[in-house]
Amino acid sequence: MATIDVKLPDIGEGVTEGEVVRWLVKEGDTVKHDQPLVEVMTDKATVEIPSSADGKVTKLTAKEGQVVKVGGALLSLDGTSTKQEAPSKGAPGPAAKSAPGLQAAAPTQNRPALTMASSTQSTDVYPPAAGSHVLATPSTRRFAREAGIDINAIRGTGPVGRVTRDDVQRGGNGGAGSNGKQGLGAIAAARPVYQPMYTPTTMVPQSGEERKPFRGIRKKIAENLVRSKQIIPHFTHADEADVTALVAWRSRMKEVAEARGVKLTYLPFIMKALVSTCREFPNFNASIDDAAGEIVIKHAFNVGFAADTPEGLLVPVVKNVESKNLLDVGHEIITLAEKARTGKLAPDDMKHGSITVTNIGSIGGVYATPIINHPEVAIIGVYEIQKKPVVINNEIKIRDMMNVTATCDHRLIDGAQAAHFLKRFITRLENPDSMLLEMV
Amino acid sequence: MKQADVCVIGAGPGGYVAAIKAAQLGKKVIIVERDKWGGVCLNVGCIPSKALITAAHFYDQIQHAEEMGFNIGKTTIDFKKMQSWKSGVVNKLTSGVSQLLKANGCETICGNAQFISPSELEVKSSNGGGKETIKATDFIIATGSRPVQIPGFEYDGKNILNSTDALELTSMPKHVAVIGGGYIGLEIGSFYQKFGVEVTIIEATKGLLTGVTDPDCAAVIQRKLKKAGVDFLFNAKAVGYKKSGSDLSVTISVDGKEQKVPCDKILVTVGRKPNSDELGLQKIGVKIDGRGFIEVNKQLKTNVPHIYAIGDVVGQPMLAHKGMREGIIVAEVIAGKNVAMDVKTIPAVIFTDPEIASAGMMVEEAQGKGYEVGVGQFPYAANGRALTMNAAEGFVKFVVDKKTNVVLGVHIVGAEASQMISEAALAIEMGATAEDIAATIHPHPTLPEMMMEAAEATFGPPIHIFTRANREAAASRPPAKSP
Repeated sequence: MATIDVKLPDIGEGVTEGEVVRWLVKEGDTVKHDQPLVEVMTDKATVEIPSSADGKVTKLTAKEGQVVKVGGALLSLDGTSTKQEAPSKGAPGPAAKSAPGLQAAAPTQNRPALTMASSTQSTDVYPPAAGSHVLATPSTRRFAREAGIDINAIRGTGPVGRVTRDDVQRGGNGGAGSNGKQGLGAIAAARPVYQPMYTPTTMVPQSGEERKPFRGIRKKIAENLVRSKQIIPHFTHADEADVTALVAWRSRMKEVAEARGVKLTYLPFIMKALVSTCREFPNFNASIDDAAGEIVIKHAFNVGFAADTPEGLLVPVVKNVESKNLLDVGHEIITLAEKARTGKLAPDDMKHGSITVTNIGSIGGVYATPIINHPEVAIIGVYEIQKKPVVINNEIKIRDMMNVTATCDHRLIDGAQAAHFLKRFITRLENPDSMLLEMV
Repeated sequence: MKQADVCVIGAGPGGYVAAIKAAQLGKKVIIVERDKWGGVCLNVGCIPSKALITAAHFYDQIQHAEEMGFNIGKTTIDFKKMQSWKSGVVNKLTSGVSQLLKANGCETICGNAQFISPSELEVKSSNGGGKETIKATDFIIATGSRPVQIPGFEYDGKNILNSTDALELTSMPKHVAVIGGGYIGLEIGSFYQKFGVEVTIIEATKGLLTGVTDPDCAAVIQRKLKKAGVDFLFNAKAVGYKKSGSDLSVTISVDGKEQKVPCDKILVTVGRKPNSDELGLQKIGVKIDGRGFIEVNKQLKTNVPHIYAIGDVVGQPMLAHKGMREGIIVAEVIAGKNVAMDVKTIPAVIFTDPEIASAGMMVEEAQGKGYEVGVGQFPYAANGRALTMNAAEGFVKFVVDKKTNVVLGVHIVGAEASQMISEAALAIEMGATAEDIAATIHPHPTLPEMMMEAAEATFGPPIHIFTRANREAAASRPPAKSP
C-alpha cells in the first residue's frame, strides 16, 4: 500500500483549471478504480473525476469551491495504483507537458515519449530556447520555462524591451492581454486566462443582505463574458425581417416534422440560413488567433445557441450544421436543449463553436446587445416574431416581422460588412423556398 | 550486473558535473571512466597547459626583470621539476574530482564502455578485471574528443606530437613546427617560444583564428608573436615530413610550391574529433551526424529515449565550461525538470600572450543578424593598472546594438583578459546595456576599469582617452558660459 495523490487531469483542450464543486466521497471511504470522486467545474461544464486507483481516501486535499490547476492535487488515497499514467491527449506542447493524467506519483514519471524515429532537433523541447533578440535574465528565462511559457512570445515592458519576471507572470496569468499595453494575447504558448481588469472592490457586509459564494457555472459565465468584453471591440447592427412566408412555411411543415418525431421550431431554419450566409461571408465563421497573429477561417459550421437553464446561460453547439438537414438540426437542438436544462451537457457538447445564435424572442423584447462567445467573432440575435403594420406598395399590410441583430468583432468585421451580411441573411429568412437551392 | 538510475560515461568536466548533479537530485549514479578522472581538461588539456603557460610567463618576466631593477643573472630551467610541479597541480585536481564523486555517493568504475542495448552497458575493466554489465534507466554520454590525426603525420610521441605529448616534454626542442594555427597550437607554440624554442606555425587558411575570434584581437597576437620571432606560414598545407638521422623537416605546399621547414619536433594541432565511434552507438540507433557529433536537442536528448549526450561529443564549441553547464542541465532534465540549454553566450578564452577572451557576437556576426552595430573600444595603454603591470598591449572592444545600446558582444585582447570576460558574459545574459556597465563603479586601479570605459565609448566619449570622435564632439559643443 502506498499513498497515491489523485490529481486534476487534463480534461481537454484549453482547460487549465477547475473548481471543486462537490465531493462524492469523504475521508475514510474505500473507493474503487474509476469510481467518481468529485465533481469539478471546468469550462462551463461539470465533470466527474474518477479514481485512478483502488484504495481508502486519506485526505481531501482540495476544498469545495477551491480552484485547482490541472495537475494540482485533489485527494490522497492509501492504496495501489492500478493504472499507469493516462496517455496525454493532443499535440505535444503545453498540454502534453502539463498533463500528469490520473497517475500516481510514481518515481519514473515525466518520461517524454520519444521514439527512435523522431527527429531530435529542438522539436520536443518546450518552451523553445530564447532567441538572440530576447532580453531576459537567465533566472527569468528559467522561470518562464518552468511555467511553460515561451519567452520569445512575451513583449517585455522593461528598459529597451527587457522581459521582466513580472512580464512572465502577467503573461502566464493573462495580464499580457489585460494591461492593454502589449496587444492581446501576447503569449503564444500558454493559453491566456484573462483576469478582470478592475481591482476587486471590498464591500463591507451590511445588515439586510444575504451572501452566497460566487462560484460554479455563474463564475465561469462571468469569466467568459469578461474575457470576451476585454478582448473584443463589439458592435451591433440591427435590421428587420419580414418572415410572413417563413411563418406560413413552418405551420405547413409542423405536422410533417412532428410525424418524423421533431417538434419544428424556427431555430433550425435560422441556423441553416445563417450557415448559408456565412459561406458567402467567411469572416463571420472565424476566429482571431491573437498569439499567432493569424485570422482563422473555419470550414466547419458549428452553431452554438444560447440556452437559458436554472444554473444560468449555457451555449450548446450543433456541430457541422452545413452537412445536416433541417430535421437533423432540429432534432439535435431539442436533444441539446434538454441536456442543458437537466445539467447533463458534456464539455464536448459546448466545444468548438464557430458562431452563435441567441434567440431571446421566446420571452419578448425588441433588441438586445449580446456578448460574443469568444473566440468566435459574431453572435446573431433573433427576436420575437410580431404582427406589425408594414407599408407595401403604398398600402398598409399586416405582416409577421422579426428583428435581427448581428453583433460582431470589429477587429475583423466592419459595419458595412455586417450590414451586407444581415441583408443576405434576411433575404434567406424572407424566402424560405430559396433554402431548397442550398439544401444539403 | 550493476543497476543505477543514471549511468554517466566519461568523467571529464561534463560527465563528472552531470554525475554529481544527478546524485544531488537523488539519483543513484554510476560513472564510468576509461582513463583518468577529470578527463582531457584536467589531465592533458586546460589545466596542465595553463600550468606550463604560467611557468613560461614567469620565466619571461624574469628575462625582463632588469628594467624594474632586478639583477638576477642567468636563470636555468629544470624541466623535469617543472613537469612534476605541473603533475602535482593536476593530481590535486583529479583526486579532488574523484573524492567529490564518491562523497556525493556516485559509484566510480574504470573501464571501456560498450552499449549492448539501449538500457545496458558493458564495461571492460581497465586494470585487468573482467567484464561487467550496468543496467540504468538513463545514460549520459560524455566521452569527449581526441586530437585529429592527419594522414602522413601519425602521432608517435617522439617526432610527431599531439597536444598531450607536447605538455609532457621534459626537455625543450630547438625548433618546433606547429601544424595548425588554432588556439591549441597558438597556446603551446607561444609558451615553447618563451622557453627559447624556435617556432614555425603552419596554417592552412589565410590567417590566425579566422572566423572564431575578433580579427583585431587576432592581429595583436600575431604581431606580438612575430616580434618574438615566431614564423607564420599561411595558406600552407603540410604534405609530409622527412627524417634523416637527427634532421627532421616538414614538407609544405604553398600555392602549389613545395618547401621544407626544418625542425626537430612536429606538433600537430589541427582540431579535435568527437569520441562517438567506440561505444556501440550505431548498434543501438543513436543518431550521429557527418562529423561524428551525436545529435541532441536543447535538453541534450538523443533520438533514443533515455540516452543523453553532453560536451565535446555533441558539438562545438568544444569547451569544458560548455560541457559543465550541459552536465547540470542534463541531470535536471533527467530529474524531471523542464530546463534546457538556453544560454545567450558561451564565452571563450585563449591563453596566448597576451590572452584573448570573448563573449557574445563579433561585429560581422551581429551585422549578419540584422543589428545596426555600434562599437566602443578602450586600449590597455590608457589604463593605470595595465601600465603598472607592464602590460600595455591590447584593448577591450564592446559590440552593441546601436538602437538600444544592449551589449551584443565583448572582445578583449590583453593581460588577464580571461579574468575580465565573465562580466561581459553576465551583461549579455542579463540583457544589459553598455550604459549599465558604464554606470557601474569599477574599482581603481584595476584592469576591469577598461570594461567601464569601453562600454562608455559606445555612446559617448570615455574619460581616459581622447579620440577623433571626442575632438569632434568637443568642437561642436557650445563654449561654457561664464556665470
